[in-house]
Amino acid sequence: MSDSSKHNLNRRALLLGAVLLVGGGAALTRIARSPGAFLGRARAFNAEQFALLEQVCEVIIPTTDTPGAITAGVPAFMRQMLEEWGSDESRAEIVSVLETLEKLAWSKFGAGFLELIPERRLQVVSGLDAERVARHDPAYGKFKQLVLLGYYQSEIGATHELRYELVPGAWRANLPLSEVGRASAV
Amino acid sequence: MDFDAIVVGSGISGGWVAKELCERGLKTLVIERGRHVNHRTDYMDFSAPWEVPNRGKVPEAEVAEHYAVQSQCYAFNSATKQWWVRDSEHPYSTPPGRPYSWIRGYHLGGRSITWGRQTYRMSDYDFAANALDGNGVDWPIRYADISPWYDRVERFAGISGANEGLAQLPDGQFMPPMALNCLETEFKKKIEQDFPTRRVTSGRCAHLTEPTAEQLALGRGSCQMRHTCERGCGYGAYFSSLSATLPAARNTGNLTVVTDAIVERLDYDPAKRRISGVRVIDANTKQGRSYQARVVFMCASTIGTAQILLASQSEYFPEGLANRSGAVGRYLMDHLVGIGASGTHPGFTDRYYYGRRPTGFYLPRYINLTETAGVDFQRGFGFQGYSGRATWDRAEHEAGVGAELKQRLRAPGPWGMQLIGFGEMLPRANNRVTLHGTQKDRWGIPLAHIDCSHGDNERRLADRANRDAVQMLLSAGFENVAPLGELKPPGHSVHEMGTARMGRDPATSVLNAHNQAHDVQNLFITDGSCMTSSGTVNPSLTYMALSARAANHAADRLASGEI
Repeated sequence: MSDSSKHNLNRRALLLGAVLLVGGGAALTRIARSPGAFLGRARAFNAEQFALLEQVCEVIIPTTDTPGAITAGVPAFMRQMLEEWGSDESRAEIVSVLETLEKLAWSKFGAGFLELIPERRLQVVSGLDAERVARHDPAYGKFKQLVLLGYYQSEIGATHELRYELVPGAWRANLPLSEVGRASAV
Repeated sequence: MDFDAIVVGSGISGGWVAKELCERGLKTLVIERGRHVNHRTDYMDFSAPWEVPNRGKVPEAEVAEHYAVQSQCYAFNSATKQWWVRDSEHPYSTPPGRPYSWIRGYHLGGRSITWGRQTYRMSDYDFAANALDGNGVDWPIRYADISPWYDRVERFAGISGANEGLAQLPDGQFMPPMALNCLETEFKKKIEQDFPTRRVTSGRCAHLTEPTAEQLALGRGSCQMRHTCERGCGYGAYFSSLSATLPAARNTGNLTVVTDAIVERLDYDPAKRRISGVRVIDANTKQGRSYQARVVFMCASTIGTAQILLASQSEYFPEGLANRSGAVGRYLMDHLVGIGASGTHPGFTDRYYYGRRPTGFYLPRYINLTETAGVDFQRGFGFQGYSGRATWDRAEHEAGVGAELKQRLRAPGPWGMQLIGFGEMLPRANNRVTLHGTQKDRWGIPLAHIDCSHGDNERRLADRANRDAVQMLLSAGFENVAPLGELKPPGHSVHEMGTARMGRDPATSVLNAHNQAHDVQNLFITDGSCMTSSGTVNPSLTYMALSARAANHAADRLASGEI
């Protein structure tokens, strides 16, 4: 299979996913209004989209001396959010960001995102990030917000990467940063 | 008689009235239109961020369909969702182009669970304001009348704060204040230097920092600095009807509470010139029933109380109960919000704090008091301030991904500060609540129609608040300083008041100096509707003091047989 036909297949798969998502949305919203109806809701991502989402999340928040996005459950969190929280519009926006990244991978490096080596994945994501943050793109903002929320408000993100106490017990108004250590998660 | 007293509503005002009446030995019925709530066990305050449904976000489709208005409140999230009505189930109407945000919750305790807990006394500048500039009618009381009652409610509720000796922000019975952080301390120094009559003080709030024996005995404890207050507090560390007044009332053995009981109207007996019954509809079965008592207190909230009075028409009160003046429903006010400024500060990068303080600082009114030059409006504003270091969520608006991003967010971001203005709104007859001519809710009760808008004075005041906030932040060395935004439509500060005002003259006001209806001697109203002017400070503490004062007055008059 040539690179371009694989590209087309991937593109088609992604687009098909998006169409199902949007087309099915109206009916699903109606069903979802009765209690328990969320159980029957279609998944927010197909398998290919989810595989892509996992790796994009891990590029944004990689494993370093602390766990990264995948270990912290960010992709699963985003899937859950798009199934339980997001409107049809939000789901379409998030999928559109993934589509754009896949397209950028092809146009920059002639291969799908998942085929790229880590350095190139980082280039693709940071390129889009810089451009979209600069022009305050709402779809990308929503995407990045979910990744950040998924990580920094997870148990790993809040308590291993940052600092969180369920019950601080005291207010100490003025301390050296070195004494507190890391940023508070809340 | 079923009871000595009936209290309609269980929020901040109703809770206080119930406590005082019960402690005076009166058999008291509290009628709450919403569901029963258990203190502690019905709160979500012990959930970590990752345990809260959808990390605090309420599903977008659900917000659009059911919470379009309620979700405008900063405290609305998936951990507090139970404290807000569904707009879809509790509609009201507004004229085209004049939105009003009626933000509320129907459950035992009302908005005393979700309130902002900022507690400031009104001063004689506030009580004399109408008499001085001719807006509205004169308050029938002055600070000296209410001061001992502020003392009483502060001691019981537990207010943390610092005495400052300011005429416009009277001192009180305070527990130790919550300290200012390093940037706020610096800001205070600079402001008090550059603007000699402006003052910065710790935000006075209804949180226990040094509980009394009385508070401990009610099962309340010290604030744990979690700042998840709006979910409800299992420690009972902040004041609410559920943590404080209703338990105290229950301890007397004189309290009865019914929930899911919607008051439809009050029946008036023209021969005895008294309220003869309180008619309710069961929220679930829609069955009607009636309660009788010697005295009735309306604490159903500013708009709710007006709605019930207007619906209680009779041959003797064709314009609504206790409404010979025509003032019922009129003079609706809400503090001006959406004004102020924010900025970042380049210093103190090596300083931080520990804990989540549930208050900030307060910068009380100076305009038209100590600073009058070039002021082109009446009344004034104060600022609530908050400062802290930016958290991880700043990264949504900053470019960067990967290990670099992670490393950067490990440290707190720059210091920032917000000055959030609260401005006074003038009482105007045309800002009013009426009953909708045709539309009714699912219980057959006519909808409230709310017609309320700002005037020139409000807009000029808001402009000045924005300019002053920007100027103060700049003078204190802040960067990226910008106004917070536009004046928001009324309702947004959730300080609605004024629809059954107190006054000296029965021809122009609804209530006398003791919150007793001029027209009906066994009817008292102590929720926000009694307010003759709005003042600049958060009003809940004043509702508490007026409620306690009126309840004791009523108990005295019942004992002497005058009611």
